[in-house]
Amino acid sequence: MASTPLTDAASPDLQPVPAPVTHPVAELAICLPAFSAEALPSALEAITTAFPGESVLIASSVLPPTPTDWPTLELVPYTSPRSDLNWVLTASDYAAAARLAADHNTRAVLILGDPESPLDAPMLRRLADGIRGTSVDLILPRFSLGPTNALVNTALLYPLSRALFGADIRFPLPVDAAISARMAQRLLPSTQRLVSLNQGSTILWPVAEAAIAGYSVREISAGDALPPTPPSEDFNTLFSSVAGSLFADIDAKATFWQRARNLPLRPPAPTEPAPLDPLEATPDVLSMIESFHLAQNNLQEIWSLVLPPQSRLALKKLSQLAPDAFTMEPDLWARIVYDFTLAFHLRTLNRNHLLGAMTPLYLAWAASYLRSVADRPDRAAHAIERNATAFESEKSYIVSRWRWPDRFNP
Amino acid sequence: MGQQIESALRQSIHRIVLVLASFLPGVLAFLFALVVFLLIGWGLSALVRQILTALRFDERLASRESPGSPVLVADWSSSNSPTLVASRITFWICVLAGVAVGISAFDASYSVDSQYSIFLLPYFAHLTGAILILIAGSLLARFLARSVLIGAVNAQLQYARFLSLGVKWLVLVLTAAMALDHLNIGGGVVELAFGILFGGIVLTLSLAIGLGSRDLVSRSIEKSFDKATDRPTPPTEIRPLTESDPPPRPRLRHF
Repeated sequence: MASTPLTDAASPDLQPVPAPVTHPVAELAICLPAFSAEALPSALEAITTAFPGESVLIASSVLPPTPTDWPTLELVPYTSPRSDLNWVLTASDYAAAARLAADHNTRAVLILGDPESPLDAPMLRRLADGIRGTSVDLILPRFSLGPTNALVNTALLYPLSRALFGADIRFPLPVDAAISARMAQRLLPSTQRLVSLNQGSTILWPVAEAAIAGYSVREISAGDALPPTPPSEDFNTLFSSVAGSLFADIDAKATFWQRARNLPLRPPAPTEPAPLDPLEATPDVLSMIESFHLAQNNLQEIWSLVLPPQSRLALKKLSQLAPDAFTMEPDLWARIVYDFTLAFHLRTLNRNHLLGAMTPLYLAWAASYLRSVADRPDRAAHAIERNATAFESEKSYIVSRWRWPDRFNP
Repeated sequence: MGQQIESALRQSIHRIVLVLASFLPGVLAFLFALVVFLLIGWGLSALVRQILTALRFDERLASRESPGSPVLVADWSSSNSPTLVASRITFWICVLAGVAVGISAFDASYSVDSQYSIFLLPYFAHLTGAILILIAGSLLARFLARSVLIGAVNAQLQYARFLSLGVKWLVLVLTAAMALDHLNIGGGVVELAFGILFGGIVLTLSLAIGLGSRDLVSRSIEKSFDKATDRPTPPTEIRPLTESDPPPRPRLRHF
């Protein structure tokens, strides 16, 4: 018996199958999710300067009035909604970039999320060439900031990324990024799912994602550029959202960082600077110390749920120090952060409460750090390295507590 | 006379023994129903736990949560997985059903005065409601007290603990009044006492905050008064920086 074909091209009743939408193929795509109509022309000018005569696909939320001014650039609308948290890249940004890379078969995608600072053509070129010319999958800018800037990054984000994911990336929460096609492909499903759940504003940690996938990550100098300032939200809310997001990511990737692996070779640590005379605490530092003292007097009940007795004893001793001698040792800070990460994982108490109770401890660390670096870059480099090394050496602490959390409980 | 006393005592003992004899089967029926439902609850909770574990309920729930979400539903079940919470809820529903059935069985076997059951069953429902109100109130009080304490500490308010305690006791007093009202205990006295106590706490807090921040308020009023009258402020003399002056302090950036 002859079988009937399911489709018959000669049949006049059947509608022709629509051909798949073909998008132009571009070697490089650039996403400009947050650029306004006023800032866009100068950005396009910088892109044209960076890639002369090269066909570049630009995805922008606004289109310029005269697109023909830039004949080498192909402009497409950027459809992904931009989140309110627009000072760093979020899931919706990565989802849009990954979709663009998949649709246009691009080899590299640059995501430029800061519309405030002017685009630097040489840096754009380095970002793109880094992805296209090498086997690197993720490139992030490295800012040259003063000792009093990006303190949360120095205290938490950098040391945790380095200790747990083996990625020596100074700014793991980027505002600009360059990703390869396979990195985009990896990010696509998870970010699309978040966007479809209306959670596009979720902070994503691309360095950890790349580490899990075994992709290589690099950073390039951003020159004198500065990272954008966060929105005028209060510090406590911002700190809770960033630290909470990082802890959740660490929780989700526990099986990866708990495995022992060789740490990559690092350049020699900066030499220890000569000790300084006791420094006078500035008003900022005094305010932070006062906040810590207030917490030490009031938050003992909550800290006792999270911190083991030896850490609380160390904090008690710290609270008795004079402001001019206020020093939190890096290993104490590392253990405190690890204890809070574990409490976040175990849901020892409400997570908002947990992160709120951690804020004064961060301020204590910041006061100690600011007092020790005394606004000198050489001392800051040494302190940052010491802090990151402490997180690496205390990694066994979190691994053992993660596996046997009750062992240290009082 | 002696015989009359002896007869009265004998009759009263007889009545008491009769009451006990009719009361004991009811108690045994109550206990039997409770034990049976405890066993059923234990079995059902184990079954629920096994089914949810087989369905990987916890993992599915966790995968639906956004990693960056600040508030998650599972936060309320501290140190308990959703599977454990579900199985415990099943167990306690069975226990409550067992108590209800036990009271009903008590009524059926206790033939002396059936009014007991008519009184006990609704009262048991009220009692359960009151206990639930107390549990929910104490949980809410603890949650709000911690929220206020942490928020106040991070806002560098010196009276953070006092504020936290005030909020905690406000909620606890309100909860206790609601529970007593639910049990129909006290009637108007509880309402009146609650009104006085609640009003007293609010007045105390207002006075404490008002007196504590008197200077702040007066400064604020002075500032607004200055603005309203548009009083010209003396121009600040700008002096050129010299080498002996300390350098301007760098601005802190946490992010």
